[in-house]
This record gives sequence, C-alpha cells and structure tokens, in this order.
Amino acid sequence: MVVDELFDLVSYRIHPEPHIRLDHERCQACTHRACTFVCPARCYTWSEERGRVEFAYETCLECGTCLLLCDQGALDWHYPHGGYGVRFRLT
Amino acid sequence: MNDRGDFDAIVVGAGPAGTTAALTLAQKGRRVALLERGESPGSKNMFGGMMAYCPTPERLLPDFWEQAPWERAVTKRVLTVVGEASSTSVTFHADASAERALTGFTLYRPLFDRWYAQQAEKQGVTLLCGCRVAGLLVRDGAVRGVNLGSPGDDLEAPIIIACDGTLSLLAQEAGLHAGFKPSQLALGIRALYRLSEAEIDDRFGLTGREGATHEVLGCTDGIRGGGYVYTQTETLSVGLVMHLDSLKQRGLAPYDLLDRFVASPAVAPLLRGSRLVEYSAHLLPEGGIGMVPRLSTAGLLLAGDAAGLCYTNGLNQEGMNLAMTSGMIAAEVTDEALTAADLSAARLGAYQERLKQSFVLRDMTTFRRAVDFMHHDRLFEAYPRVVGTLMEKIYRSDGQPKQKIGKLGREALRDVLPLRRVIGDLIEGGRAFLW
Ligand SMILES: Cc1cc2nc3c(=O)[nH]c(=O)nc-3n(C[C@H](O)[C@H](O)[C@H](O)COP(=O)(O)OP(=O)(O)OC[C@H]3O[C@@H](n4cnc5c(N)ncnc54)[C@H](O)[C@@H]3O)c2cc1C
Ligand code: SF4
Ligand code: SF4
Repeated sequence: MVVDELFDLVSYRIHPEPHIRLDHERCQACTHRACTFVCPARCYTWSEERGRVEFAYETCLECGTCLLLCDQGALDWHYPHGGYGVRFRLT
Repeated sequence: MNDRGDFDAIVVGAGPAGTTAALTLAQKGRRVALLERGESPGSKNMFGGMMAYCPTPERLLPDFWEQAPWERAVTKRVLTVVGEASSTSVTFHADASAERALTGFTLYRPLFDRWYAQQAEKQGVTLLCGCRVAGLLVRDGAVRGVNLGSPGDDLEAPIIIACDGTLSLLAQEAGLHAGFKPSQLALGIRALYRLSEAEIDDRFGLTGREGATHEVLGCTDGIRGGGYVYTQTETLSVGLVMHLDSLKQRGLAPYDLLDRFVASPAVAPLLRGSRLVEYSAHLLPEGGIGMVPRLSTAGLLLAGDAAGLCYTNGLNQEGMNLAMTSGMIAAEVTDEALTAADLSAARLGAYQERLKQSFVLRDMTTFRRAVDFMHHDRLFEAYPRVVGTLMEKIYRSDGQPKQKIGKLGREALRDVLPLRRVIGDLIEGGRAFLW
C-alpha cells in the first residue's frame, strides 16, 4: 500500500489559524458526506463517537475539491495566509 | 521597491499565465507587481505534466527553450487501454531529430515556475511572494486594486490581471461567473517516484534527453478520467485525473484508486525499484469552451486556468501553453488600454476578440464536441472493457477455429453496449475528432 506513505511525504508550513472552517450545523442535512472520501489528503473523517464529520486543516493540499463538492454551504474556504500551507519541493 | 500604488498594473498569481502577463507588460515599460501566495513561485503548483512546445515564451525570451529548466523533451507518447485481463497500447514515437513542434517538455513546476518568474524580475517585474490576495477593491464600478488580507492592507493599480488558477476566486468576486461546476473540473493527484536517469532511459527506451508519456484509459473504476505516467530526468510522475462530479457519484477515495493504479500490471513494472518522494493534488478545468466566462470587466482581465482556458480532447492536454498565450494577449490589451487611458469594460472587451483570433479560443472551439464526448461514462468503463475483450479474443489460441474480427467485435459488445449505441457514438466521435 502506498497510501500511508503518501501523506508523510508532503511538506507544510502550518499557520496556527485554520484556513477552512466547517459549520457542523449545516452538515446535519448532508446526505452524502462526500468530503470524507473525495478529499485527497483525508482531512475529513466521520466520527462515529461524536456523530459528526471531523476536519483537520493541517494536511490540506489546497486543491479545492471539498469546496466544489460540498453542496450544503458548510465550508468557509480560503487559501492559507501568504507563505503558509503546503509547499511542493523535492527535499 | 516601488511605493505602494505606484504600479501601472497588478498581476495576481505567478503561474505560467501570470508570469507571462507580467513579463510582457514589463517589456513594454510598464511598472508591474506580480503577487504570489506561495513562498516562491511554483511552490503551490503541480501538473501531469508535459507542456506542449509553444512559441509564446520565445517571443518574450528568445532563448527560452534553451535556458528553461525542463526535464525531458517528449518524443514518445503511449496510449493504453486497460481491459479485464490485458492492456492494449498505441505508441507514437517522433525521431529524436524531429522538429520541436512535435515534442513537449516535462518539467517540475516548483523549479520551472520559479525560474520563469526570475526572468520576469530581471526584466523589471516586482515579484512579491508570500502575498495572498484576499479580495478586490472596487470603486465606481471598476476594479482598482487588491486587498492583501487585513483591512486597509491594499495595493492599488488602474488594472488587475487575475491569473489565480482554477478556483478562479477573483473572477467570481468580480461577478464574471458564479463558480465553475463539478462537471467542469477534474481533480488530479500525483505521486512522484525517484529512479535513476539511466534506468528511466532503459525502461522507456529513451536516449539523450528524450522523454515519454503514458496515458491510461480504463483504470479509474468507471470514474470519468484516466491515469498517467510521465518521465522526468530522474523522477516519474504517476497519477490520475478524475472529473469531480463522477468522483463524487462513484464514492471512491482518490488515493485508493492511485494505490490500485501503481500496483496494476500496466504500471507496476515501470516503477520497480523506484522510491516514492512526493504527493500532490490540484484541480484543472475540463469543461471546454462552455465553461469559459466573460473574460474582462472594468479594470480586470482573466487569463489561464482562472478563465477556464485549459482542455483535453483525449489526445492533447493543453493548459500551460494556453495560460502563457492568454497571459501575453491580456498584457498586450492592457498595455494598449493604459496608453489610451481607457480601462472600461467596453475597451477591455477587445481581449476576448483577440483571444478568438489566436489558437487559444480557436482550438477550444474546434474541440468543443470532443470535450463533450469526453463526458460520457461509457468511454471510461464499457469501451475499455470491450477493447480488452476483443483483443483477448483476437490473440486467443486454444485449438478452436478462429473467427473474423467483425464477429469477435460483436461478441465483445454483447451484454456491454447495444450496437445502436456504438453506431451513435461512432458518429458523435467522428464529428468530435474527424470532420
Ligand atoms: C494533474 C494535472 C495535469 C495537468 N497536465 C497538464 C499537461 O500535461 N500539460 C499542460 O499544458 N497542462 C496541464 N495541466 C494544466 C496546467 O497545469 C494549467 O493549465 C496551468 O498551470 C495554468 O496556469 P495558470 O498560470 O493559469 O494557473 P496556475 O499554474 O494554477 O497558477 C496560479 C498561481 O496563482 C497563485 N495564486 C492563486 N490564488 C492567489 C491569490 N489569491 N493570491 C496570490 N496568488 C495566488 C497560485 O499559488 C499559483 O502560483 C495539468 C493540470 C493538472 C492539475
Ligand atoms: S460534504 Fe459538506 S455538508 Fe456534507 S459532511 Fe462534508 S462538509 Fe458537511
Ligand atoms: S482543499 Fe483539497 S486537500 Fe484541502 S481539505 Fe479540501 S479537498 Fe482536502
């Protein structure tokens, strides 16, 4: 499996403030929870325990897929502050 | 550095579109700021990728292709259709001595985009990195500048060229469109593998700085899209492109598909002994001319992906070349408008007309139907299966009498696609690609 290795190879400069915020209220009406499988960085996970989608912005690849596929308007989506976030560079 | 507000134009985004626009303006003597949110140009950018040869950057920097940090000049292109127990390929191989227009260049965007922006700086462009544009300043119905995040942190100029890429957020803010739709965009993911130069040459049958691209159809579990393997000097770029609406509908995770793709018989042998070194993801426009919005408003022009100027017809993947060319034309129109001191929506409408005369909108119009055709699900699941089954039947040797291909073809189609549909597709495909 390459999957688990993939995520360890990305370099970030993480800003303390999340650049994407999730409105859990709006997720209540969602029938597909597409974010939990379409996000290429696995930022969204379904928590059985809390009965809601959990979101972690730190490993975001800034692709915009979640923004395009969430149809409940649950995301307040921005690019990270200048100079922060993912950085593609071979080390 | 210039004082704030001392610019003739602001270009947002130092990708191929933005850097070309800024470079063009600087060469015309304009004071131009190029704003990039990444810590350096290219640090946020990825593509498949092969940039088809394009004369545009040579018009600005005559020895562009001699100097630019590209990796390999692609002479070999392989198209593979994956079936259930086999794969079938077609190979195009230009002679190593062939003219440039038959080749394309693989490149690593963090290096290429940075180098290109440095050339623009040398010609007088003010490049500001780590600088994210958060919004537009609008006064008297015209765009007059950009906001950089906090209130009052503004940068003003009479005209803005938005080259901020596929999400096209600034164009939306300017009211040029209401956001691209999931059916018009694709998600690209890619894993980069390191392998020695000699090993890549051997494995792909290449010499010198020659490169190869492999496009693979039928490897996306029915999602509209495909897979690719591109050779760089010492790395292989391996990934998938998937239409967003189709990905959502199918309910699969992109990395799980990638996992299967790299382990598949068509790809695994190419990667043997290599080491995974990077993972990335990015969206790209795939809606064709139908998604291209109005391209300007008072004080603002769009170029590159932000304008939806990127397409594939299944054989050609055109993005960087359209970005550079639209960036250059946007800058030329900007320069003329500045000279005329008229930055009205009507005046800047000339940009759309100019693009219509260039290969950018002409090609996108030529392949209007091809792009629509590429939105049929059956092209990505049923047809690859039929091709696989047919080829397996042709090559099967089991002591039973053989049959002609027409009969085998009908058998391969049975239970997969009705003949009527195939004839319809042949006609539609013919109109899309042949006449
Ligand atoms: C998987 C994949 C495969 C592809 N394959 C090919 C291929 O083989 N051949 C080809 O020609 N094209 C290919 N493309 C398309 C190609 O990458 C794009 O068409 C091209 O990069 C568009 O250039 P651009 O300058 O318009 O946008 P981009 O290259 O996206 O540049 C936009 C720039 O703007 C910056 N930016 C964005 N928002 C802001 C902001 N608010 N403030 C400041 N800066 C900002 C970004 O950081 C970025 O540097 C592919 C794309 C993908 C995703
Ligand atoms: S797709 Fe949108 S609404 Fe649905 S769970 Fe995800 S974030 Fe919430
Ligand atoms: S932008 Fe892309 S990587 Fe980031 S959370 Fe959304 S889908 Fe995941």
